[in-house]
Amino acid sequence: MALMQIAEPGTAADPHQRRLAIGIDLGTTHSLVASVLSAVPTVMRDHEGKYLLPSVVRYLGGGDIHVGYPAAAAAGQDPHNTIASVKRLMGRGHGDVQTLAGHLPYDLVPGEGMVRLRTVAGEKSPVEVSAEILRVLKERAVETLGGEPEGAVITVPAYFDEAQRQATKDAARLAGLNVLRLLAEPTAAAVAYGLDKGSEGVFAIYDLGGGTFDISILRLQAGVFEVLATAGDSALGGDDMDHALAEWLMQEEGGDVSDPFWRRQVLQQARTAKEVLSAVDETMIMLTPSGRASHAVTLSRSRLESLIQPVIQRSLPACRRALRDAGLKLTDIDGVVLVGGATRVPAVRAMVEAFFRRVPLTDIDPDQVVALGAAIQADALVGNQREDLLLMDVLPLSLGLETMGGLVEKIIPRNTPIPVARAQEFTTFKDGQTAMSIHVLQGERDLVQDCRSLARFSLRGIPPMVAGAARIRVTFQVDADGLLAVRAEETGTRVCTEVVVKPSYGLNDAEIARMLQDSFTHGAEDVARRRLSEAKVEGERVREALRTALTADADLLDPAEREILDKAGAALINALSGNDADVITGAAEAVETAAEPLVQRRMDSALRRAIAGRSIDDLGD
Amino acid sequence: MVDSCFRCGAELGAPPALCASCGAVQPFRADLSLFAVAGLPETYDLDVQALRTQVLALQKGLHPDRFANAEPAARRYSLEWSTRLNEALAILRDPLRRADYLLQLQGVDALGEQVKVADPELLMTQMIYRERLEDLVAARDLSGMEALRQEVDTAVTGVVQRLRGLLGILPCAEPEAAGAALRELQFLDKLFGEIGRSEESLQNA
Repeated sequence: MALMQIAEPGTAADPHQRRLAIGIDLGTTHSLVASVLSAVPTVMRDHEGKYLLPSVVRYLGGGDIHVGYPAAAAAGQDPHNTIASVKRLMGRGHGDVQTLAGHLPYDLVPGEGMVRLRTVAGEKSPVEVSAEILRVLKERAVETLGGEPEGAVITVPAYFDEAQRQATKDAARLAGLNVLRLLAEPTAAAVAYGLDKGSEGVFAIYDLGGGTFDISILRLQAGVFEVLATAGDSALGGDDMDHALAEWLMQEEGGDVSDPFWRRQVLQQARTAKEVLSAVDETMIMLTPSGRASHAVTLSRSRLESLIQPVIQRSLPACRRALRDAGLKLTDIDGVVLVGGATRVPAVRAMVEAFFRRVPLTDIDPDQVVALGAAIQADALVGNQREDLLLMDVLPLSLGLETMGGLVEKIIPRNTPIPVARAQEFTTFKDGQTAMSIHVLQGERDLVQDCRSLARFSLRGIPPMVAGAARIRVTFQVDADGLLAVRAEETGTRVCTEVVVKPSYGLNDAEIARMLQDSFTHGAEDVARRRLSEAKVEGERVREALRTALTADADLLDPAEREILDKAGAALINALSGNDADVITGAAEAVETAAEPLVQRRMDSALRRAIAGRSIDDLGD
Repeated sequence: MVDSCFRCGAELGAPPALCASCGAVQPFRADLSLFAVAGLPETYDLDVQALRTQVLALQKGLHPDRFANAEPAARRYSLEWSTRLNEALAILRDPLRRADYLLQLQGVDALGEQVKVADPELLMTQMIYRERLEDLVAARDLSGMEALRQEVDTAVTGVVQRLRGLLGILPCAEPEAAGAALRELQFLDKLFGEIGRSEESLQNA
């Protein structure tokens, strides 16, 4: 079964009432929630007046979970159960994060699919960890706004691939949020600046966050934000500066580099020192290696800058690539916006200024600007704003297909405006071939092994013909969120089959259901209500699909199969009249299983009808 | 035939995508040409800035963001229209792809694989340009590359001018000549891209 975004039932609001909407910046090191309050985009604060929520989750024994400052404070004592920078693991497999493993003190569980972390509360996926952060932000919004938000816009790095975006959406769903749109972080920043200033022109958004770097070139004209190009590195950020400094400190100090407590301590001191050195020229770091006395280390800004220079320089190739993809020269840029806490580092500002040859804009707090922009967009999407602002995004990474010899053929190049659809024709390469395996990849490299695998599926039921005779057109549709759907179609008759693409690192519904079960301790009622409404929507969809299929093609089933399917259908109708989500979901799944022969034969017969009556010469030209 | 709104029956404008009367997004029309989707007449000589403005204005009404909370059918129509508008902008804004599309509308596939590039003059020009680029890369000569880039840019302008003449009246009366111009433009386009990539890799090195 596919993960589908399901419209929240019963959302018809009183037209006189302002609809509540929130924008969330789900960041690597910290997260924020904002909303448009009395026409002013505002970040929401916690009980202590703090607006930043450290993106840190600590699992304690007995089912307790700490999120934010208390979790961050405990990171040094309880590294295995305290998850920070989880954004770097979103949508990533075990193999992907090996390169990060030296930096991350977590207990990673080997296996297929998305990486999992072993904690005292059991194995957790990055999606579950992120959902804990989102849940806290949602609660903060509910308290501040005095009601449930109707929808949320969540920002992601422009460079996030399909699997990472899907994981972010899954996390939001798990936290009980209705996602209106995933929005690229730099675009959100531009929204915040564009509206504040009413300016038009071409802007470069240089976003160096805790764990990701993005550079985007946007054009604002007549109320339309158009992303012209984006490039970046999803594993480059302020954290890397901290690590560069920490590695140096550990080398200087000696000590056991495999000791997670020691690593954590040095890393925390490095981060603090980096922040302090944005304002002063020299600082002291106190270190306490295990079994040795505490002592101070002096660190100058110039030492820090020489250590982090290689990290900062890594952002330049992406800047050049984005400019070239946009077809622009440096002189075409009307303004540069800085986003992300790491852009407070003076060496970063100096480098940006030198590269773009202009003083970057920093009027809005670089930590808040993304959340503020997301709030503005959320407000527009739920229909509060008359201001008609439209954001046109682009595909961040090329989509392609595996071809013979482990090569990738690009179907949609990066930086293509979305939504977009592209079609590619396939044919068989063996006589009598009846199935075709399709492997969808994302990335810029030529070899399959260097790209990210998004989905594999088989197209079955091709009538046996000589090699090269069948004509199957496969269409890739990327929606406005950058998520992919694939459709296979016989070219002559437009008979088509929708194929649901699940990212290889996405979650299946059983996993989602299990996670929802796990989360019952948090807002159990809320979650149960949502599950029920989702189960009902899905159940109705299955019932309707079954009715349509039986009306059209009941003759494809033998009596025994028909009886099984009818029984399953009746059970589903019965389940839908009740209020038990598990029963409904179970009954819907039973129908889908029972309907598999029918679905398969419908596709076969559609393809046969499509190809029947045409000679092999017709097909093979 | 005048198109009318599937919901309220009111007459629809061009493109027949949104009903001005009841605001309903209309079922997608796959039969419309890219020009028709953009609400523009079929012509080679079009103002790219005006095209951009027109398509973005249409996107403002049809983009899926406008239907974030709408019925599934409306969301699907909006996705289809918006996708097609993006395609229209991408193809029609580009002098090469616009010409190719116009020729395809009259059944000429000038850039298809079956077409043999038999123009010896073009082949020779290609070889000379490529050798020059290789020499510049070997010499790490960035200013030479910039000069070459400008030279190619001028050549592109010349070919586009020629196409404007050939495609001034549609359907094109000399599809062979237009096809040859198209292949030349395609080569120059690729070369332009290669110069950019070479420049970038020298800068990043």
